[in-house]
Amino acid sequence: MAFELKINGKQVSVDADPQTPLLWVLRDHLQMTGTKYGCGINQCGACTVTIDGQAARSCNIPAAQAVGRTIVTIEGLSPDRTHAVQKAWAELDVPQCGYCQAGQMMAAVGLLARNPNPTDADIDQAMNNLCRCGTYVRIRAAVKRAAELV
Amino acid sequence: MTKHETDFRNGVATPEVSRRAFIITAAAAGGGMVLGISSATEAQATNTTGYPGVQTKAPEFTNHISITPDNKVIVRATKMEIGNGVLTSIAMIATEELGCDWSTVSAEYVLPSRNLAENNVYSKTGVLAYFAGRSTGKEMMDQMLQAGASARERLKAAAAQKWNVPAGEIKAEKSMLIHEASGKKATYGEMAEAAAAVKLDKEPAPKPHSQWTFLTKTSQKRLNLPLILDGSAKYGIDIQVPGMVYATVRHVPSHGGRLKSYNFEAIKAMPGVRAVVVIDPDEKRAGLPGNAVAPMGFSATTNGPQAAVAVIADHYWQAKVALDLLPIEWDPGEGKQWTNTAKVYETIAAAAKDAGKGNIIRQIGDVDAALKDGKKVEAEFMTPYNDHFLMEPLNGTALVTADKVEVWVPTQHPQQAMYVTADETGVPPEKVTVYPTYVGMGCGRRIYGDDVRTVVAIAKKVQGTPVKVIWTREEMTRQGRYRDLAAASFTATLGPDGMPKAVDINQAATRSSGRNLSDTPYATNIPNFRVRTKVFNTNLMTGPFRGPMYTSNLFFLETFINQLAETAKIDAVEYRRKLLANYPDPGWVKVLDEVAQKANWGQSLPKGTAQGVAIGNWAMANTKEGAPVPNTGSTVAAIVMVEVSRRGQVSIPRVDIAMDLGTVMNQEGVRAQMEGGVIMGLSAGLLEEININNGAVVEGNLDTYRVLRQNDPLLPQEIHVHFGGNTNHERLSEAGEPPMGPPPAAFAHAYFKATGKWLTRQPLTKYMA
Repeated sequence: MAFELKINGKQVSVDADPQTPLLWVLRDHLQMTGTKYGCGINQCGACTVTIDGQAARSCNIPAAQAVGRTIVTIEGLSPDRTHAVQKAWAELDVPQCGYCQAGQMMAAVGLLARNPNPTDADIDQAMNNLCRCGTYVRIRAAVKRAAELV
Repeated sequence: MTKHETDFRNGVATPEVSRRAFIITAAAAGGGMVLGISSATEAQATNTTGYPGVQTKAPEFTNHISITPDNKVIVRATKMEIGNGVLTSIAMIATEELGCDWSTVSAEYVLPSRNLAENNVYSKTGVLAYFAGRSTGKEMMDQMLQAGASARERLKAAAAQKWNVPAGEIKAEKSMLIHEASGKKATYGEMAEAAAAVKLDKEPAPKPHSQWTFLTKTSQKRLNLPLILDGSAKYGIDIQVPGMVYATVRHVPSHGGRLKSYNFEAIKAMPGVRAVVVIDPDEKRAGLPGNAVAPMGFSATTNGPQAAVAVIADHYWQAKVALDLLPIEWDPGEGKQWTNTAKVYETIAAAAKDAGKGNIIRQIGDVDAALKDGKKVEAEFMTPYNDHFLMEPLNGTALVTADKVEVWVPTQHPQQAMYVTADETGVPPEKVTVYPTYVGMGCGRRIYGDDVRTVVAIAKKVQGTPVKVIWTREEMTRQGRYRDLAAASFTATLGPDGMPKAVDINQAATRSSGRNLSDTPYATNIPNFRVRTKVFNTNLMTGPFRGPMYTSNLFFLETFINQLAETAKIDAVEYRRKLLANYPDPGWVKVLDEVAQKANWGQSLPKGTAQGVAIGNWAMANTKEGAPVPNTGSTVAAIVMVEVSRRGQVSIPRVDIAMDLGTVMNQEGVRAQMEGGVIMGLSAGLLEEININNGAVVEGNLDTYRVLRQNDPLLPQEIHVHFGGNTNHERLSEAGEPPMGPPPAAFAHAYFKATGKWLTRQPLTKYMA
């Protein structure tokens, strides 16, 4: 069944079961592989995108629920890696393997949209994505740096 | 049972696929300078494939270096980027001698098929040549420094010929060739084609380390950072091959068991479902032709075929939904005797206590006699199975035809992957092409090639159609090659000075290893010392976990040393200084002193707050007798501060860590590894445990397996990495595994000082009050 999604400012048509999680529509049907599969149960946050400006875990959202809403993925954050969050992530050299970092950055985008000056506690609450490489201390610092750069 | 295997009802066409036909979906990454990122990373960002597994055509100087006419340097490495920065390290090493501008450098993998076709020229140094770590080991350093020097001299020779001046008068720096007397200049790129054809009478000798201007003097960010920032870095799971279908797999939950039956009819009509295929462990495998040897070997408990069922569908989600609904019956096999975790723990603890029957791996003096008098201290320890829980689920994409196989896989050892593929398909190794991708962390889980075997075992059933196989998180967790289960029983007697007269260690583990037990430098000052080991296994398979047995043995030894120090009422840092007084490697005491000073060890702290200490080394060499070899490996010491609130809430305000790697090549790269190792080490030691139920793993996902996260109350609030412990010894030792060891023992020590209770079993949080 075909339906339309608005992703990174573009209307795209998808021919898939609308109950398919948004994550797999992005990855398999649209070949937008920047958004990652990690746990599939709404826990690790590797699949985080923003929907209408709020961070959302795309593994747990049927694509049908995203119809008519504004979806932004890591690929759409900026055309040239100049979003404040990307700049902060680069400046603090946050990633190691990098697999979780798209989700981390999108979670940061969602956090900063509703809280431009988050405290450590705010960051820990909102940024509970998993990073097995253990980049958490830098993530916290990078969110604060991004808040300054916005 | 297998009648549906070829029931490929949609009659998938057989596409002609080559690597050039890849669908490149990366957002446009290149174009101009990018704010916020050093220009150092621009060259890599212009690689439009998004991963380094495809070779760029360009004039090639040596096996390892190409330079393009537009002045880009490509360094080729046999080590896969798993997050530890090896690809960047290797490019840096070549850059030192090549004298090129770092911003022009990118890195690519040397495919194992190329190595094979060129008579193993890249892997003459053995099984570790294609292992995704140890980029700064001596063999790799020598190879890459030589490659850089050889390319540089060819560039000079080509310029000398063209300008008709002596090569000795030409300077090569920042990617420019300059002859000052005549004012002639050229970029490396302009001279590349001529230079690549130059034959030198003699290869140049790399300069001594003391003359380095780039390595050890600068820090560089990872080359693939820009690709991570915009999501264009391609991991194995992101690979797209035209005509590809998807599969997801379920292996027998009780490791080593067999498939009894399944019912394809139940899911056959579900959307997108194409077939069910079976992996039969009892089917004979092809083996390897002639003298071919898989670098990590083949064995039933590492990478041998496991009974499994996979569903193939048009899309991953369809395959996953169908597999969840597929009725499957399993025979648990031998695993069923392991009815629960408690039984496993009782058995291994008994094995560890069963003194006298173990294999003696180290013996000094007369332990039995020396244990008869003096103050006795005894303790028992255990560490459970842990899962690697890597962020990128196991996956791979393969296209098998009758006489050729292509595999795209996130692996720590693509050479092993190539041989596993040959064994599984019967296609000879020279017809197997493995394209390694970026890897969503390794830690030892992606080294045996068991994942690759499963991928090609599925793909070979649908020849001519590329299949991407993705493990669910639950499947990956339940089909781990877990951290080794280990237990140990320690007995010591103390002399009147409080120092050990005798230490007797009996260890049982799923892998035989005395690292950081039998080879401890402390034994140079313990007159009677003995270590005995036994191997004990359940049906669960184990593997390297960021330092095989390191995190278990070091936790046992360092906790026991802290117990001896506390019993003797001697400061634990001072106690170690005394034990190390006769050991000729100065790094150990230097690292201890550095971390103690920087952490303000011994400071007065409020009630309920305390510091603990531990030190260890990965992966120092041993003598024939099992004694440590000074000035080898990476020595790391940690001081962990623990705060226990009046209500019993435990937190970690601060961790300090210091290291002696000899010489540090890329300080910021090392700092990242140290920080990450502290977190992963504490997560494993404090939180993680794999449980067993009738031979099958209980935990599957993050709802049951706790891993340290940003909002975990036990996440260290600060991590301070200190470099003052480095001795500047000539070795450049590794940084990935070493920080995994000391933090849990230092935590347990601090927890004792704060609460009076020793934690001797992991996960430590399970045994807190």
